[in-house]
Amino acid sequence: MSPARVVAIARKEWREIVRDRLFLLLAFLLPVLLMIVFGYGLTQDVENMPLAVVDHDRSAASREYARHYVDARYFRFVGYLDRVDDAERLLAAGRVRVVIVIGQRFERQLLEGRPVAVQTLTDGTFINSARVVQGYLDAINAGAGGALQAAALSRRLGVSDVRADTMLRPLRLEARYLYNQELRSIWAIAPSLIMNILMWTSPLLMALSVVREKESGSIYNIYASETPRVEFLLGKLLPCAGISFIDAVALWAMATGYFGAPFTGSAPAFAAATLVFVLATSALGLLISLWVRTQQAALMIVVLLGAVVGMHFSGMFEAVVSLPAPNRMIAHLFPAMYYNDVVLGTFLKGAGFAETWPDMIVIGLFACVAFALSFLSFHKRVAA
Amino acid sequence: MTVWLRQLRLMTSKELRQVWRDRPLAIFIVYIFTLDIVIAAGAGSRDLRDVRVLVHDGDHSAASRELVYLLRPPYFRLVGEVASPAEALRRLDRGDVMLVLDIPPGFERTLGQGHEPARAQLLVDTSRAIRGYLAASYVTQIAEGLGASIAARRLGRAGAAGLIVHEPRIWYNPNLDPAWFLTISELLTMMTVACIVLPGAALVREKERGTIEQLLVSPLAPFQVMFSKVLAMVLVTVAGTAVALLVVMQPIFGVPARGSLVLFLLLTGVYAFTNAGLGLVAATFARNSAQLGMIVLLLVTPIIMLSGTWVTIESMPAGLRAATNLSPLRHFIEIAYGILLRGNSLGELWRPVTSMTLLGLGLFSAGLWRFQRQSLRI
Repeated sequence: MSPARVVAIARKEWREIVRDRLFLLLAFLLPVLLMIVFGYGLTQDVENMPLAVVDHDRSAASREYARHYVDARYFRFVGYLDRVDDAERLLAAGRVRVVIVIGQRFERQLLEGRPVAVQTLTDGTFINSARVVQGYLDAINAGAGGALQAAALSRRLGVSDVRADTMLRPLRLEARYLYNQELRSIWAIAPSLIMNILMWTSPLLMALSVVREKESGSIYNIYASETPRVEFLLGKLLPCAGISFIDAVALWAMATGYFGAPFTGSAPAFAAATLVFVLATSALGLLISLWVRTQQAALMIVVLLGAVVGMHFSGMFEAVVSLPAPNRMIAHLFPAMYYNDVVLGTFLKGAGFAETWPDMIVIGLFACVAFALSFLSFHKRVAA
Repeated sequence: MTVWLRQLRLMTSKELRQVWRDRPLAIFIVYIFTLDIVIAAGAGSRDLRDVRVLVHDGDHSAASRELVYLLRPPYFRLVGEVASPAEALRRLDRGDVMLVLDIPPGFERTLGQGHEPARAQLLVDTSRAIRGYLAASYVTQIAEGLGASIAARRLGRAGAAGLIVHEPRIWYNPNLDPAWFLTISELLTMMTVACIVLPGAALVREKERGTIEQLLVSPLAPFQVMFSKVLAMVLVTVAGTAVALLVVMQPIFGVPARGSLVLFLLLTGVYAFTNAGLGLVAATFARNSAQLGMIVLLLVTPIIMLSGTWVTIESMPAGLRAATNLSPLRHFIEIAYGILLRGNSLGELWRPVTSMTLLGLGLFSAGLWRFQRQSLRI
């Protein structure tokens, strides 16, 4: 193998990329745009949920209780409704997502020291937000009810409010949020997006560059030349991986600068893992574009495979250890999961080489296997 | 008119045949309406299940054990106990567990005396913020529930004074079955991709191969050339959706269809038409399939990401929320979930249906207009 020839092919490749203005623009613009779209699109914070209250009691106590929901920043108060029927209509039309129904004898029962039930109706269509809303409702009810309950008990037994509170809640659990104290989902989403976006833009760039060669017929020059297959493939791979690496740096800058995610770990470890990862994903793109006959199909497969693996099999939303067994196995076959560990580790958990080297080795192995398979499936002889 | 219709029919069947003969493409289409939905129902589940919990029990008492054993499957899985908090932190760092429950020595004694609250600590990996928050709030609820039952034993009826019991009712998906949500969302997502890409790619392919010129010199109107591609896509999508619903989603996952199936398939057709229009507009801007791929990517990603299955529309910044009205998918999400889960009828859905149809007509006209202008220039 001659390094000079690899460099020559890489330079040819680079020049082709630079001259295709649209390609160049997209190669650098696409990841940045995706970062913005995904950054906002995947933020799973649930706020401003439209809320209505049906207050059958219309007492001071019921208004005071409802205020806890109306004032919460998670909800956008739409208004008081007279009847549950109206609430049902608004829920069906998707105009309200949550309804609080306060019964007729709310105040009287409270004053008599009896337990009172309050019903909440939640639109369960979009389960993710519905589940978070359930958490909010429980917490708000506990907060609003706890104070009322402690006051009632302290009146009854003649003890202090604090003492009454201890008697009512003798066990406390203090949650300490590690790595992301403010529970800002973008802090984890933005770093994972570096993985997610590269997982499909990088194979896509690679596939496009192979497609271009096949499309214009310039691949026949290679078939006819003395250049060995390895050198040609390397010469194609390296510039594309290089572009993806530059993209990765831009994405890193956006994650930290624009979305404000903290980077607490080792930058060299992150850079090293990123380099191996873009080589692996580019090799994957190379492999697919060599395997699939039509260009259209190659592009489609590359994009879908990257998107599906990046979303579902990377541990981005759910830790891979808690995936169902078959999905867990699939996840282990792709480099996304290992790189996601490195990214989250170096961003949020202060990780360095010591914690991330096993992941890097696996990603590197993937790169070698994908490249070797590409080599084996690339033939200079045209099928008759 | 009859000739015109026959020409359209022939062109449409030509398009269908072309899809069928491109084997990878045909396989892909079958895949997205069947297997893909099955995979999505398992893979993307953000249901809180099997949260891995590690315990550091410094008390080793009956009370601490009672608390630990309340963390039961399917929500939680106890993966073991560690001797030191430092070891627990290491496991958290590695991403091996999501929660660490740390019970300090003297926990049972404090709880028994009741002078001050007995405290336990929960360390939560919130690198997946919402999941972490949910897991933490489940455990908090369980622990406080245990506390409340102890308090109720001690205080008797006095403790129940002023208690407000929260009775949640969840509508349309009472058990919050993730498969109902995920299968529909996956179907819509993949349908969107296919409906935009395939007609656009078919047009670009004709451009690349030069067969477009044959079509232009034939007695076909540009409308017929364009519309046959759209029609083929509409047919494929409606058929695929019917298969997905009747063969996969209902039998395997029990997804209900509370509204009218006919209405749903009809509106699926309108949605396919709208997206195909978008694909054709994109195709008039692309010179080759590589360029089309890039353009489509730029269109499809925001459409899918920002239309309301992944993100909660209500929680978006106002400007972005307004922009989502331009996405056909945003309207179709309301229609699809509305008909299937909420049992909506056309009367309740007139708003999204009108928006989607108008968008579709606008997009198709724009595509046709640009195509006509380009074909005059050839």
